[in-house]
Amino acid sequence: MARIAAFESRPRFFESRAFVSTTAVLLFLIFWEIAPRLHWIDGTFTSEPSRVIAATLEILRGGDLLRDVSISLLEFTLGMIFAILIGVPIGLLLGTFQTLRYLLDPPVMALYATPQLALLPIFVVWLGIGVGSKMAVVFVGGVIPIIVNSIAGVREVDRSLVLAARSFCASQKDVFAKVIFPGSLPAVMIGIRLGISRGVLGVIVAEMYVSQSGIGNEIMKYGSAFRVDYLLVYVILVSVFGFTATTAVRALEERLRA
Amino acid sequence: MKNAIQRSAPVTLGIASFVIILVIWELLVRVGWANPFFTSQPSAIASALARQIRTGELLRNFLVSFREFVMGFSAAVVVGLVLGVVAGWYRVIEYILDPFIWFLYSAPLIAFYPIFVIRLGLGSGTVIAISFLLSVTPIAVNTLTGMKNINPSLILAARSFGARPHDLLWKVALPASVPMIVAGLRLGVGRALTGVIIAELFVASSGLGYSISYNGQLLRTTNMFASLIVIVALGVACTQSLSALEARFDSWRTSPGV
Amino acid sequence: MNQSVTNPLPHIRILDVTIAYEKPREAGTFVAVADVNLEVDRGTFVTIVGPSGCGKSSLLLAIAGLIAPSSGRVVVNDHTVSGPGRDRAMVFQDFALLPWRTVLENVRFGLELHRWSGENLDERARRYVNLVGLNGFEHYRPHQLSGGMRQRVGIARALAVDPEILLLDEPFGALDAQAREVMGNELLKIWEQNKKTALFVTHSIDEAIFLGDQVVVMSKNPGRILETIAIDLPRPRTIEMLDGDAYVDYRRRIRTHLMDGLSSERAIVAPHG
Repeated sequence: MARIAAFESRPRFFESRAFVSTTAVLLFLIFWEIAPRLHWIDGTFTSEPSRVIAATLEILRGGDLLRDVSISLLEFTLGMIFAILIGVPIGLLLGTFQTLRYLLDPPVMALYATPQLALLPIFVVWLGIGVGSKMAVVFVGGVIPIIVNSIAGVREVDRSLVLAARSFCASQKDVFAKVIFPGSLPAVMIGIRLGISRGVLGVIVAEMYVSQSGIGNEIMKYGSAFRVDYLLVYVILVSVFGFTATTAVRALEERLRA
Repeated sequence: MKNAIQRSAPVTLGIASFVIILVIWELLVRVGWANPFFTSQPSAIASALARQIRTGELLRNFLVSFREFVMGFSAAVVVGLVLGVVAGWYRVIEYILDPFIWFLYSAPLIAFYPIFVIRLGLGSGTVIAISFLLSVTPIAVNTLTGMKNINPSLILAARSFGARPHDLLWKVALPASVPMIVAGLRLGVGRALTGVIIAELFVASSGLGYSISYNGQLLRTTNMFASLIVIVALGVACTQSLSALEARFDSWRTSPGV
Repeated sequence: MNQSVTNPLPHIRILDVTIAYEKPREAGTFVAVADVNLEVDRGTFVTIVGPSGCGKSSLLLAIAGLIAPSSGRVVVNDHTVSGPGRDRAMVFQDFALLPWRTVLENVRFGLELHRWSGENLDERARRYVNLVGLNGFEHYRPHQLSGGMRQRVGIARALAVDPEILLLDEPFGALDAQAREVMGNELLKIWEQNKKTALFVTHSIDEAIFLGDQVVVMSKNPGRILETIAIDLPRPRTIEMLDGDAYVDYRRRIRTHLMDGLSSERAIVAPHG
């Protein structure tokens, strides 16, 4: 039956997440490999696992991969670093001072509700087709969730902890450094995690829109040529990167929570 | 009197912040510190908007994007809810869907747009598909999480009164998941709009995203900002209404103790 | 240990019941209750007292039919319990009310699930809302109510299905001390009106003695029955009885049992004196 029994027994292996998920993916891959050969689906637009693997090897041998990855990584990392360095302090500040928050909350929330990539063409006008506009997109995509979640983090700090610190005659600076900052850290990490996934999407789409190099550029190149096998290599690469980055941050979140 | 001032503070300060931003913006251009070619100015944007409204251009673009957004989001709601409920109810289904949902979430789906175009043509078809794929994930994931995190005490109580699986689903699990589901809808609405804009940048010949891109290539910053403002307004309207809905259902949360 | 009283047909019989759970992340099982035998006569108010983790709640869940004993069986009216039934209804420590339903809708919840027929559910629910003293609050929702009021809804919901057996799992555990006292009295007043067979699990020795006709004292984990004490105080019970010699004597007996049953590391069965 359903998972909603009040007392669940330990799952047997065949029902475990590892087994079922892996089997589902394997079955999917097998289907994907066979179906075009049997003409169930059109292979020109879907490619096959074997060709994707072959494409991977080609790309690895090609030698351009390192350059493309470095550029995209650079744009992403710099944009994210700025987003964190600017977003966290602003968020903490806004969380602490109510008047400031009332003042700046609406513009921040307006930006939060806006698709970051709507700003891409404007950034291209301002910063050109190079690294700058991509960094700007990553920055804007990342800084907003970081600010919003940092604000939430400060406001969620248990008031009684603050009172306890004050009762021990802690100064304003101490209260901030020893209670508010550590207390809001989990929420800040959540904001960073959300910022990362928006940043990854931002840098790739920005590169697809206009660029001379980078992973997005390669995606655009192979996409227009309908080389789906090569396309998938890069798409999977981006997915894996995004997943790894967010998982790493999530692990950090867990560590902080403990 | 003081109380009334305090209570209206968020609203007044909020409005004030927008006014201040617009005023500063206009002033910076007028005194020559900002180049209107790059940044435009509120007065110019306002008259551009007025012109666009008069010629019907604004309405045209808006309706195109809005229609794509509504269709993409509605499809995502239906599919996302069904998937989320089924995956929440049957653990095996969750394990099967999990890797694919993760991929949908983290992969830059716009990379596949040439394939979409082949199948669905340039313009609305592809845009709706991208919008759908982007927004179905948070809806499905949140629905799933809602179903998984019901207070087990409620299930126990229902079973103690003879509830059968059918009753558990409709009378307990679904209502209990509503707060998480609405949160998922809020996230989904933002991503649906993002999907429309991203897709329009690449495959459309009308719509707000297209308008920004087109004007961007002609370096007409004023028109770009005009379209951007409409997008921001749309985004804010959608997110705010869903936040209000979320607040309405906040008392339905089944945290232990209620 | 066996306990039987004069009446030939006990309402509930717990026969050699052991309840064990699989541990979710390790091997092995967690034994909540071991080799429990108990007989409860119709119309008696039995309280079960014991330290945390002694399996008292598990026993109640087994009687309710929500979990199955690993060995042994529970017999109600000569039928082995194999699942929930109309003859048994439960009241929960965390109230377990549906937050999206009003008081009235929560009280009729059990009636809906049991497919109650023959009368208007709302009218029946309303009667029980009045019974527990919540008339006027029918359209309030749980988050607008105090803890005591929420539990009244829980009690009304359980009584509405007219069970033969009322199972109460630390129903006042989430309430503050004053509310507990008030609710204890309220519960007795309500119970006096229909004298259902009741099993009441609690941490509090005072509550156990004050409310019960019999007190079942359980050991620490794995839970066994240490003793069953018949409480010979007249009903209706009054606060003054708490000062009487008989009461003090009962409390001493129970406290001694509980203390004996503990090892030094867990010596925190605080008798709520």
